[in-house]
Amino acid sequence: MKKNVILSLLAAVLPLIVGGCGSQAHYIQTGGRESVVTVSGINIQDFIQAADAATSDLLASGKLDKVANPPAVLAISRIINNTGQQIDTDLLTKKIRVALLNSGKAQTTTTMGLGGTAEDPMAKGLQQEAEFKSDQKATRTPDFTLSGKIIETVARTGNTSQSTYSFQLSLTDTQTGLAVWEGEKEITKQGSRPTVGF
Amino acid sequence: MKTRIFLPLAGVLLLAVSGCRTSMNTVENAQKEGQRQMVSDQRVVTDASLADKVSVVGVNQAMTPGGLLKIQIELLNRRHSLQRFSYQFEWFDANGMQVNNVASPTVPSQIDGGEDKFITSVAPTPTCKDFRVKFVEN
Repeated sequence: MKKNVILSLLAAVLPLIVGGCGSQAHYIQTGGRESVVTVSGINIQDFIQAADAATSDLLASGKLDKVANPPAVLAISRIINNTGQQIDTDLLTKKIRVALLNSGKAQTTTTMGLGGTAEDPMAKGLQQEAEFKSDQKATRTPDFTLSGKIIETVARTGNTSQSTYSFQLSLTDTQTGLAVWEGEKEITKQGSRPTVGF
Repeated sequence: MKTRIFLPLAGVLLLAVSGCRTSMNTVENAQKEGQRQMVSDQRVVTDASLADKVSVVGVNQAMTPGGLLKIQIELLNRRHSLQRFSYQFEWFDANGMQVNNVASPTVPSQIDGGEDKFITSVAPTPTCKDFRVKFVEN
């Protein structure tokens, strides 16, 4: 009798325990400590870190304050992805752009881009129309361009693999063609590969 | 017979322990040119273990040429082993409201045994007047 009661209780409690251990879908803070870290790829927290480091360094340099007509106007140039992965470089540049805009130190043009392609074609069309009607040039030439490269360096020894991601950025003065600020943030991750499986 | 077993064991244990121990010697100029503008800080410790291992030595501030507040925190690892932790800066305006920062990372960091290191951050906007830094052990 007693055995039956204990067994019934155990049977009732067991699913609760097992269920409690299961990984249910849940929200986490983007880039927070619970984020998945992979050695073989750039994670979202890496982009956030690189963008924060670049923005802080750029703002602290004071280069954006040295324009005749503040806030400085920025155009995004080429960001080369030299890693083995397919990544959208906007994950880096957009964060920098938003942070710079919020700081009040710089604005980014969306009507000028590499090879004459505008990020916002409608805005470019409307701007050209306004220029045509008023017969005046409304476009402000960017003070600076932002270009860069993302590089991946991989090293392995035994079961340990290591990846370093270098986020290199240059701010070029469009009047002189000189890089007035350059920043590099390196993020290195190390982990052990499983001995069995992939 | 017992000694035969214990001696190699003691040797292995010593190697294992010394392998984890790190320490650091430093040298710097005695007559400092720079003058740190120290900030009186207020600390809330809920993880005494982390606070004991990675202690905050001091906080100093400076203004960037563009009028942004720059904070530098000096940390000291009181232990002889590497410690891993994460930190995150939060910024507040003159009304005490938190300033939203799109790139506000939780930065993973590490500090060697006996090492003294600095972490810095620049306020995202000129309106930022106050700050808070969160430390979590990894």
